Amino acid sequence: MNDLSVSVSASAHSTPLPEAPAKVTARNLNFYYGEHHALKNINISLGTNRVTAFIGPSGCGKSTLLRIFNRMYDLYPGQRATGQLMLDQTNILDPRLDLNLLRARVGMVFQKPTPFPMTIYENIAFGIRLYEKIPKSEMDGRVEKALRGGALWNEVKDKLNASGLSLSGGQQQRLCIARTVAVRPEVILFDEPCSALDPISTAKVEELIHELSEDYTIAIVTHNMQQAARVSDKTAFMYLGELIEFDDTSKIFTSPGDRRTQDYITGRFG
Amino acid sequence: MAVQSDASDVISAAGPYDRAKALSAFKLGDVVFYWITRLSAISVLLILGGIIVSLIAGAWPAMKEYGFAFLWTQRWAPSADPPVLGALGPIYGTLVTSFIAMLIAIPVGIGIGIFLTELCPQWLRRPIGIAIELLAGIPSIIYGMWGFFVLGPFLAYTFQPFMIHLFDGVPVLGAIFAGPPSYLSMFNASLILAIMVLPFITAISVDVFKTVPPVLKEAAYGIGCTTWEVVRSVVIPYTRVGIIGGIMLGLGRALGETMAVTFIIGNSFRISSSIFAPGTTISAAIASEFAESDGLHQSGLILLGLLLFVLTFFVLTAARLMLLRLERKAGK
Repeated sequence: MNDLSVSVSASAHSTPLPEAPAKVTARNLNFYYGEHHALKNINISLGTNRVTAFIGPSGCGKSTLLRIFNRMYDLYPGQRATGQLMLDQTNILDPRLDLNLLRARVGMVFQKPTPFPMTIYENIAFGIRLYEKIPKSEMDGRVEKALRGGALWNEVKDKLNASGLSLSGGQQQRLCIARTVAVRPEVILFDEPCSALDPISTAKVEELIHELSEDYTIAIVTHNMQQAARVSDKTAFMYLGELIEFDDTSKIFTSPGDRRTQDYITGRFG
Repeated sequence: MAVQSDASDVISAAGPYDRAKALSAFKLGDVVFYWITRLSAISVLLILGGIIVSLIAGAWPAMKEYGFAFLWTQRWAPSADPPVLGALGPIYGTLVTSFIAMLIAIPVGIGIGIFLTELCPQWLRRPIGIAIELLAGIPSIIYGMWGFFVLGPFLAYTFQPFMIHLFDGVPVLGAIFAGPPSYLSMFNASLILAIMVLPFITAISVDVFKTVPPVLKEAAYGIGCTTWEVVRSVVIPYTRVGIIGGIMLGLGRALGETMAVTFIIGNSFRISSSIFAPGTTISAAIASEFAESDGLHQSGLILLGLLLFVLTFFVLTAARLMLLRLERKAGK
């Protein structure tokens, strides 16, 4: 905590405060894979109902950062985070925190589509059932709403009992988004959600992310800079475990404040 | 070695540039190698075919004498004149002991698999894994002796009286757990079989649980599942076919296991409703009688062996098919 002032001044060239109230706030966040210091003094706020994109070369720690937001790293021994990470008034790093509840509040969509080995209907209903005991009729409504939320309803409404694995890659990914939405989270994390998809599916998912930002706080990690420019309100550039620059997306892509950001977005490395 | 030195001779005689000649010498080696491996492979088929043919030939007199009635005759009187032979007792014993063994070994084996892959702290993983492997390496006769000298007395003096008393007078269950207690019983054999097939089921469970993509588990954890919910709704459905394959391999072992069972099952051809009564299995019957048999009696025992062969063959084929299906699924 004693070098808080240092990191504040270090990020002086980013906007001091986002316009939207902060949903997730990291202060002096550090992360270690065993001895390896993977994230160094990250200070960032994700605005409520905003899309924040994380860009940077491979290994810069952007996915690592995302996996702290829902404590996914907890599954693996030897990984630990220090500092402070708040979700509203909840300290995400609190060891006594109920992880299942945290993950209901902070949903995640992965790089590869991950439908569960069950029917399309069950893929959605399964997550809802974890938290709510509701009658079948109400469940049908919730499943439909979630699938509509995932922009998938029209394509699957006649085959809800087909296996989730029978869908195409793009459909599977939207099923996973619908599944995440069905649990009614507050924050949705996207970890390179389009890297395994074709351009048309990518466009659909991007559109979906844009729509979802009306109701959810969204963080997206992407290797595709055009995608970051298209979907996000704010962009964070990370390099070698440090947050180099965090600002409005338009500013990052037109007049970045840091030399390294400029080099990256103009394709000089990464 | 001979082929190699031939090849180098050719090179030195024809100069370094005559590659075609050098290669043709290698070709001879290739042909020889091809035929050696091919014959080895064919010999497996020949041996298998030979065993089947000799089993059928040996069993032929009994097949002719008893026909299909062999399958549902309970009486086994080889010293009667003419001998009366029926396989119902051994078939019943084989199926019942294997069934009880699987009933015990499946949940325990899958449970160990889940613990080792999902819950076990790193430092404990190796010791438990090695212990399971060692369990598979213990010779069958050791299990038999342990069952006779340790497990048998415990069951006869402690466990069986308790169960018999507990279910006394209860319909069905009272007949299954009926006295008198005995060292030598189908239940004792079932327990030993369960311990013997446990490593198979555990090893395969661990292997197939490892095929579940980590990201799929993360996705389930990511919507807030507990470990139990992840295992029940994602890991087990994803690996279902592989688990069944493992169970089938275990079952194949249980059906055919001979030495340990012969030691502790009591070798009685009478069918009893009680699992605490002595019984016999196909392999135990053959092992205990074959040395002193001749004529029709021996032919009957060979026919028993043929039955076991067919039974195990079907079980293993089913296992193989299921594992193939799993591999195809994983490769997709």
